[in-house]
Amino acid sequence: MDGIEIRGLKKSYTLESGTLHVLRGLDLTLEAGAITVVLGKSGCGKTTLLRLVGGLEKPDGGEIRFHSPRKTAFVFQEPRLMPWLNVRDNIQFGLRRGEIDPAATKRIIETVGLTGFESALPAQLSGGMQQRVALARALACRPSFIMMDEPFAALDHFTRESMQKELLRVREATDASILFVTHAIDEALTLADKVVLLSGGVCAAAFPIALPHPRDLMCDELIQARRSIVAALGAAA
Amino acid sequence: MKLRKRILPALIGVGAVLLAWYLVCASGVVNDYVLPSPGRVWSTFLKMAASGELIKGVLVSLGRVLKGFGIAFALAFLLASLRILAPASEPYYEYIVQFFRNVPPIAMIPLLILWCGIGETTKTVIIVLASFFPMYLSIVKGFTGCDPRLLEVARSFDYGRGRAFFRVVLPSAMADILVGMRTSLGYSWRAIIGAEMVAASTGLGHMILFAQQMSRTDKVIVGILTIGIVGRVTDWLLGIVIRRFAGGTAQNGWD
Repeated sequence: MDGIEIRGLKKSYTLESGTLHVLRGLDLTLEAGAITVVLGKSGCGKTTLLRLVGGLEKPDGGEIRFHSPRKTAFVFQEPRLMPWLNVRDNIQFGLRRGEIDPAATKRIIETVGLTGFESALPAQLSGGMQQRVALARALACRPSFIMMDEPFAALDHFTRESMQKELLRVREATDASILFVTHAIDEALTLADKVVLLSGGVCAAAFPIALPHPRDLMCDELIQARRSIVAALGAAA
Repeated sequence: MKLRKRILPALIGVGAVLLAWYLVCASGVVNDYVLPSPGRVWSTFLKMAASGELIKGVLVSLGRVLKGFGIAFALAFLLASLRILAPASEPYYEYIVQFFRNVPPIAMIPLLILWCGIGETTKTVIIVLASFFPMYLSIVKGFTGCDPRLLEVARSFDYGRGRAFFRVVLPSAMADILVGMRTSLGYSWRAIIGAEMVAASTGLGHMILFAQQMSRTDKVIVGILTIGIVGRVTDWLLGIVIRRFAGGTAQNGWD
């Protein structure tokens, strides 16, 4: 198998009031080339899971097994651009000197619709444009595995929609595996090949969604899926 | 636009000071020895400029400032970087650094003269002592103030410590480093004039003290004006160099 396997993942934080167990032995399999969406309420450990998989934090127990050599990229909740670099340099931030390919960068800038803004500084861009730069920065290093932490949460409805389309197009083009964290059910239904409910520090339920893109959220299958997800979320609470 | 908004008001400000100075002298309220007239100071200035006395003083003092400032910058940058790259080393030198920060360099002069004589070394050390701390503190502030979320981005792209330092920490600290350099340059000037007044036979500070002993108040004033102007010009030149070097960061406090 050619994906990522997570077994018995544990993580807790020590607070003044005691120990907070965020993940309590979480098992999850991420299929290669698929979009796995982790859905859950605020504070259920979605971001922690992502940070552990991305290697930004160390787990207390369990293991994360990558089945093939991978190049990973992270898209954070906020754009996190380097304020002193222009759009082009920000996009190339993840590349080593020898990996910089002006033609490829130009293509990525086109893909995210920022042509003409190559020399702009982040402060001169709107929030949506900044988040597109962040997405382009992740894509520029041709990752085989992309982790996204509510990347579109701060965007308005229309920008979010176009960014979601963008992401699906990128997936088509690159075949990258994507681990996507969100608390928005609609977003999960729009993007996911598999929706995973995170609750009580474990995966409470998983819903495979085998529908082609673009999807109509009002179709019967998705309305049905939404019902079961809402019910499962309610049961978990 | 720039003429109306900046240059004209500046000229009016300077003109008003000169006019007040002239009027005070012309009214005869003060003795010519206590406050020589602008005209006399001007002609003294021309004479000193023509004889090369002034330019020599400026060059000597400026040379000392640049040398001491350069050494201080290298030291401050090195120690501040060490604090970031090897945080465990910090307690070893931090208390010593903080001790010297609270000792005015002028207070070190007697010891320095005893150890290094009244040659160049004493003056260099005094400038280093005076200009090291503002730079050290602002560089440390710039380095430690780096947004950890940006460092996390670097980490997510597999940046090592050194690479993250040069590509994230250093550029984000640029504004603080520049402010520190600017403050320190001013401190260097003050320190060298002080040091030259106590232990030197050349330089602007010595020139002023010598003029005082010769009762040449006009020369003293020429010296003071020269110090102010040269200080302002070096500050301005540093601004140009830095603006070119630090491109994109427009908000670094330079006018």
